Amino acid sequence: MKEKQTYLTFVLGNEIFAADIRKATNIIEVLPITKVPRSPEYMKGVINVRGIVLPVIDTRMKFGMSPIKITKNTVIINFNIDIEGEQSDVGALVDAPGTVIDISDKDISPPPHIGAKYKSELVIGTFKIKDDFIMLLDINKVFTLDELLEIKI
Amino acid sequence: MENFIKKFIEEATDLINALEESVLSLEDRPEDKELINEVFRIMHSLKGSGAMFGFDKISDFTHNMENIYDEVRNSEKQITKKLLDITLHSVDHLRNLLNVNIAESKEVVQKHEELNRKIEEFLKSGRTEKQKTDTRINQQTTITSGEQFASYYIFFEPNSDIFDNGANPLYTVDDLYELGECKVFARTEKIPHLGKYDYSTCYIYWEIILQTSLDIYEIEDVFMFVEDDCKLKIQKISDTKIINNKNIIDALSKETKIDISKLKSFVTDIVVDNIVDEEKKVSDKIKKFKQESEITSIRIATEKIDQYINLVSELVSAHASLKLFSTKINNSELNEIAENIGNITEEIRDNAFNISLIPIENTIVRFRRLVRDLSAGFGKNIEFVTEGTDTRIDKTLLQIITEPLMHIIRNCVDHGIEKENERIALGKPPKGKIFLRAYHSGSNVHIEVSDDGKGIDINKVTKKAVERGLINFNVVLSKEDVKNMIFTPGFSTTDKVSDISGRGVGMDILKRKIAEARGDIDIDFEKNKGTKITLKIPITLAMIDGLLVKIGESLYIVQLMAISKITDIFYSELKKTKKNVAVIDGEQIPFYFMREEFEISGEYPEENKFLAIKYKNKNVGLVFDSVVGEYQTVLKSIGKLYKDHEMIAGATILGDGTVALVLDTNKLITKFSDKGQQRIRN
Amino acid sequence: MAKTILIVDDSESIREVVNFTLENAGYNVLIGIDGRDALKFFDGKTIIDLLITDLYMPNMNGIELIKSVRADPNYRRIPILFLTTESQRNKKMQAKHAGATGWIIKPFVPAKLLSALNKVLR
Repeated sequence: MKEKQTYLTFVLGNEIFAADIRKATNIIEVLPITKVPRSPEYMKGVINVRGIVLPVIDTRMKFGMSPIKITKNTVIINFNIDIEGEQSDVGALVDAPGTVIDISDKDISPPPHIGAKYKSELVIGTFKIKDDFIMLLDINKVFTLDELLEIKI
Repeated sequence: MENFIKKFIEEATDLINALEESVLSLEDRPEDKELINEVFRIMHSLKGSGAMFGFDKISDFTHNMENIYDEVRNSEKQITKKLLDITLHSVDHLRNLLNVNIAESKEVVQKHEELNRKIEEFLKSGRTEKQKTDTRINQQTTITSGEQFASYYIFFEPNSDIFDNGANPLYTVDDLYELGECKVFARTEKIPHLGKYDYSTCYIYWEIILQTSLDIYEIEDVFMFVEDDCKLKIQKISDTKIINNKNIIDALSKETKIDISKLKSFVTDIVVDNIVDEEKKVSDKIKKFKQESEITSIRIATEKIDQYINLVSELVSAHASLKLFSTKINNSELNEIAENIGNITEEIRDNAFNISLIPIENTIVRFRRLVRDLSAGFGKNIEFVTEGTDTRIDKTLLQIITEPLMHIIRNCVDHGIEKENERIALGKPPKGKIFLRAYHSGSNVHIEVSDDGKGIDINKVTKKAVERGLINFNVVLSKEDVKNMIFTPGFSTTDKVSDISGRGVGMDILKRKIAEARGDIDIDFEKNKGTKITLKIPITLAMIDGLLVKIGESLYIVQLMAISKITDIFYSELKKTKKNVAVIDGEQIPFYFMREEFEISGEYPEENKFLAIKYKNKNVGLVFDSVVGEYQTVLKSIGKLYKDHEMIAGATILGDGTVALVLDTNKLITKFSDKGQQRIRN
Repeated sequence: MAKTILIVDDSESIREVVNFTLENAGYNVLIGIDGRDALKFFDGKTIIDLLITDLYMPNMNGIELIKSVRADPNYRRIPILFLTTESQRNKKMQAKHAGATGWIIKPFVPAKLLSALNKVLR
């Protein structure tokens, strides 16, 4: 029998997203980012997290929004993802961190496929907390698909 | 299981390499007991684990070799050239047997039989007349006993306190069933009435008839661990099968502690008693006991080492921050502490690298072998001398450079060193010499291979180059030109092609291969004096000797070894040049503006730095704003997300905690020039 | 409670096979890479129900290991098995005199190893 799962939410623009908390290893304040020349614009560069070099991605741009503006709320979430069978760390720049929530599987609705804003393969499901509509992401796919994610409005 | 086999193969490979090294050393020191023991121990080890993991051929094969070296250990045989030859062939053969792709091929199977035959011959050959007879008798016994059974009477009475020693006599009796057919008579008359029964006392004894094809020693072995705690008698009663002899079985059923002669009377062929004097045998064998030679190394998983290196590099950069801070505060006490920590950090760093690196010695033994085999093949007399083989280098790098080094050494043997008569005619010592020298220089390892052979004839190279239409007939080549030409693809100065590649063929490939290890190759020569090739390789790919350079606020590291010169230059002058070719010290050098290539906003300062980078035997310039200084640092991966980003070799963490990218200048220039060509085509 | 078995062999592959077999059979397994390394477990505190050791090992061979274990009053009674090949009669003798309880012939399959253990572990 499946129990409740724990998720970490974060904010991009006006949307709230959630990811499996087991994939998130750390939340880091924004540090000076070293730009890697000749790389796509959404790949912001690399930072030093306690001696490990972590690539940082502008998650807003990855989702087709305008580039991120660094404010005092901006954080980097360190996700551990699987790239071609190898565990790899990536830092996701998000507008603001959310909270940690427990959701039962039965409360998760399947992703809407018609008229969805985001590629349906990236969204595992959706759920509502109070009035907030939260999209549950397959974080592995979000950061391994090379092209920018399309957005339909 | 697959993983275990993989592990076994890895381990066996190491053992075989160590074996080869010991055998080669035995050539020089045939009396060295340690070496002989080592060879024996390795053969033994291969035999045991080979059988464990299904490499039966390895196990069979090493069994005979083990026997030979056991005789050598016991001074029954001597180390001879013939034995070492056979052993070296065995080393090659073992490598083939370990390679599952070829182990069953016709060639290997044939070789297996051939070598086994040689080994068996050798086992017999050195023996004295008496030993020869012994062997024959032994062989006969083995043959007959293989088919023939004998029957034994066994009397086994454990001491009443045998349980105290942790032994269980029942298991011992059980073991007998594995040897052959048994009739077991458990004698229970001593068991007291229940009230007096003591669980820690053994009351039972056994009389057993065992019919087996194995010899009496195998039976004795079963009792080896209880014999001090029991009364034991093992007697042969017949050379035939008697387990179904009704008279004997009946007699044992009725009567306990039966007289052996009575049993024998039931069988027609009576044999002599064969009670073995166990004690004497044991003391004889104990005399044979020998000490094993010492090995003082352990295996550590590479990930663990990587973790360690990572932590150490964190420590290094943490110290750099501390130093920066202490300089700012300028408190003498703090400065002292920072300096102290700095010294320790440096020591830890050196120590960490030392652990993660392996001495090049591990590979040298293959070269020694190569020189030995090749010089025999060419009928040349060559001595291979090494120095600094304890110099350490990263394992991956050592793997990368091993093949190029073998190539270089082959060239020395084939083309460098002359035949004996030629050498005498030139007034050289008849024995040629190949000298391999390794040493540390900064964060690099230098490996020099030199020979005292014919060197390179500039005139001959010139002639060849003219023939090939590479140069005009009136051009006079300098030594430097020739050096460059040698590394030009496809250039060779050898007249005929032998089965060993000619000097020149593949020198360009060597250079490429060495570049893979972020290293450099250099050649020097003198006609009739010899040739010297020097490899410069970083000690580890994890560490880099770099130059910290700046564009705007961005810092980059360029590998120091790649830089041939650094020049101050005015931006306005560079802007004036045509097709981005600058003239530096009279040399025309094509260059790239790094600011443009990296799309960094802002303008170059009027005074900037021009780095001439070695690229395909030429210089290519890269223009930066300024040079900060030399920087020795730890190279880190920038992660899989940047896997296609070849021009960045990695990153490093600076003293203030920010990240600087390490440029792979070779790939960078290739990329820039590709784009340049495209631009022209468009 | 699960029995604790100390396995000592300089061959990593053999160590791993034995470890795998024993752990699957529910034993606690301790590992030593040679005689000298194995001695660290004989600290008087660690409970060891059985020692399995190879005989030919660098630093300290199996015979010496067996002798020093037997010399330790805390471990005088534990069963000791050693790994050997058939051809090593004299080694078997030495091991026995040093204080071994029994042997396991190499090569062995897991079932054979486990049945050998059952004989000495009670």
